[in-house]
Amino acid sequence: MSRRTLEYEVSRTPELGMDFRTRDGLLSPTELPEPELGSENMLINIGPQHPATHGVLRLVLELDGETVVRCVPHIGYLHSSFEKLGEYRDWNQIVTLTDRIDYLAPLIYNCAYVMAVEKMMGVEVTERCKVVRVICMELDRIFSHLLWLGTWAIDVGAFTPFLYAFQERERVYRLHDAYTGARITTSATRIGGMMADLPPGWTEGVREFVNTLPRTLDEIETLLSTNGIHLGRTLGVGVISGKDAINSGLSGPNLRASGVPYDLRKDRPYYDYESYDFEVPIGEHGDCYDRYLVRLEEMRQSCHLLHQALDRLPDGPINVDDPRVVLPSKTDCMDDMESMIHHFKLVMEGVKAPVGESYFPIEGSKGELGMYVVSDGGSKPVRWRIRPPSFVNLSVISKLVEGSLLADVIVVNASLDIVLGEIDR
Amino acid sequence: MSELVRSPGVGPASVEHPAIIPLRERFGDAVIRHEIVAGDEHVVFVDPAAILKILQWLKESPDQRYDFLSDVTAVDYGGGRPIQVVYQLFSMPHCRALRVKAELPLSQLEIDSVVPLWDTANWLEREVYDMFGISFRGHPDPRRILMPEDYGEGHPLRKDFPLRGRFSRAEQTRQALAGAPEDHLPVESGTGGEPRIVPWQEIHAAAQVPADESDD
Amino acid sequence: MIREPSSAAGLPGEIFGSGTPTFLTTKIDFVVNWSRRNSLWPMPFGTACCAIEMMAAAASNQDLARFGMERMAFSPRQADVLICAGRVPYKLAPVLRRIWDQMPQPKWCVSMGACASSGGVFDVYSMVQGIDTIIPVDVYVPGCPPRPEGLIYGLMMIQEKIRGESLSNHPELRREAPEEAGRPRASAAEVTALSGPFGNSTRQEQSGGVATNLGLSSKGPVSL
Repeated sequence: MSRRTLEYEVSRTPELGMDFRTRDGLLSPTELPEPELGSENMLINIGPQHPATHGVLRLVLELDGETVVRCVPHIGYLHSSFEKLGEYRDWNQIVTLTDRIDYLAPLIYNCAYVMAVEKMMGVEVTERCKVVRVICMELDRIFSHLLWLGTWAIDVGAFTPFLYAFQERERVYRLHDAYTGARITTSATRIGGMMADLPPGWTEGVREFVNTLPRTLDEIETLLSTNGIHLGRTLGVGVISGKDAINSGLSGPNLRASGVPYDLRKDRPYYDYESYDFEVPIGEHGDCYDRYLVRLEEMRQSCHLLHQALDRLPDGPINVDDPRVVLPSKTDCMDDMESMIHHFKLVMEGVKAPVGESYFPIEGSKGELGMYVVSDGGSKPVRWRIRPPSFVNLSVISKLVEGSLLADVIVVNASLDIVLGEIDR
Repeated sequence: MSELVRSPGVGPASVEHPAIIPLRERFGDAVIRHEIVAGDEHVVFVDPAAILKILQWLKESPDQRYDFLSDVTAVDYGGGRPIQVVYQLFSMPHCRALRVKAELPLSQLEIDSVVPLWDTANWLEREVYDMFGISFRGHPDPRRILMPEDYGEGHPLRKDFPLRGRFSRAEQTRQALAGAPEDHLPVESGTGGEPRIVPWQEIHAAAQVPADESDD
Repeated sequence: MIREPSSAAGLPGEIFGSGTPTFLTTKIDFVVNWSRRNSLWPMPFGTACCAIEMMAAAASNQDLARFGMERMAFSPRQADVLICAGRVPYKLAPVLRRIWDQMPQPKWCVSMGACASSGGVFDVYSMVQGIDTIIPVDVYVPGCPPRPEGLIYGLMMIQEKIRGESLSNHPELRREAPEEAGRPRASAAEVTALSGPFGNSTRQEQSGGVATNLGLSSKGPVSL
């Protein structure tokens, strides 16, 4: 249960250090003496339709030559009003909405939502359900980081890691498909349990995936980690200190790359995470390269976690035996009038939550994902708030990018690992 | 809304929270009440006029050190009740969470901005303004963030805002494409002339917007 | 819609009969259509979850390169097919319209997913209820999200549509009025008909769906 600081072989030689742009003889454009010619800064617009913005993000940049003087991000181009829609849906119907918020790690959002509602209602799920949810969340953490890795490589200039990463993702898609029936929009959880128990052979599939993933990660690392172009574009770029990161609300790998050892699985544990043996990688310099290394290592740690979770998966019921939330079995319904009425009421009126509220933060793939649910005793929420990690992570982009070159904007944006569905909700 | 009682939670119910007694001692009547929800989550209701002082003390006092602002949001219960502004705080050194709420009456939806304390609040408060119409005094950039900047239909997450919006779909489509993609100026529907920003109440009263959008 | 050739069409023997196909035009049509449909450059207008499935369709497992479509044209000036993958809010609608206007003819449009086709799960204040109210759509691919195989099937339908095109009716087919640039594709009446209470979610017409019956697809229904 230790944290470890990442040590990597690349030496921080002065040429590659953070101040390499101001070494002797090379001044950054903003330090050059005032030119006698009049000049104007250029305003350019990146997005909202752009291959490298990872979604419909619009960045308006004011450039002095190649240097970014000001960066103003505009969001809202994917605003789907999930929170408003949630107020018109039953507690279980909202699970289908949660897939579409962060479509890169749907199971994490499914789990985060029902965990918040279960805390509010005081429903405690079974041991098997807890371990299954841990498996789902860690699997989707790898799933999300794989896509990040593929698109990160494309943004830096490499195409092959994208294909390797997507090949691995196809295997996770098949696992999603086998368990939930859908590749992306899984909707696997329900209040009090999961939509169904694991199909036979699914755990073997996960184990096989986890056994062979590290080899692919090694291949991608060979292509990227010591690659001169990759290093040149990411070392010392987009630096943020730990203190600034905390003050700006960064979380997840972005925060840990700046040296702050805050991981909700360790600091505010849930679902017995304190009993699993895994490490949390912490970076040192807070630049893009550190964020890349932290996420790579997190994937390996998630593999380690998955092995443990699969080993300790207990038998037993997947859904809790609580008549407030879980439908009775079909055989009971057909035999017993009370069960039929109970089934009818749960389906027609929905699960009714008592008056209360809960804010339940978990460690999502992008950072601190918290769901804040408020109930007034009905079958629909009064308020469903998603604390979106990418929204807060993206708000620091102006700070990270002002003063850098134009090419760094794309790299910094990719290193923050944002998903617009979650930012715009 | 004030019926938030202790709900059965999953953790042990802990009545103690190291922030409550010092808060009451220091700020007296500004701390209105303290509740425990979902078993172990502590909520403090404070007077909105004192919010900046209280949050500053919570952030800077060495015993409290709530240096991480997780979230700023708001809850509208509907029916004319006050809107609650909710601050989710977390202290990294002490590993403790606290929820601070301030209730704003509908006639005065204004509160001090906490951007001077945490940069996180910048975008989060812009979103609360966009969705609820709460003004944050002293916010450096009080623009809408998710909706277009000149969105004319109101504040979406309010309970009196219908799910499908106030204008008809035809009008929303027309307005969306009316200006250049860079700006979103709502044009007075039906008439020509210089575009001006029309408050939705006028359009609603003038053109009979079909009021069939009853919530399902 | 394909206009009927006028009665004073070209005499037999004219090389490019105005309106009627001749031997030479059908041969040229064959070559032109063959080369067009096998080298479509898609313009990926990906917004949400469908974009991820579009990326999976371009990756190695279900490979779009087999169809000549691996070169994603991110500049609309160089694109042939606009694949709108994902939900489109009203804030993004003018961007979509402008990108469609910037694409040169010949161009086609695939509406991928339920949200692009009809608004999907999101019948809310901010979401466009189907991009066919804004731009003309040739093929709708249903699903939430559709599997990559579904997108590929939709692209193959575009290829079939191209196979049926002809140079002899090219001017009508490809004509775009300049004053329509930047305007919504559907009139206010059509939008209202589509989005009446549950208009686009429970009104299931027998054939083709609501949009085809209102004549909203760009060149008429596909005939195979």
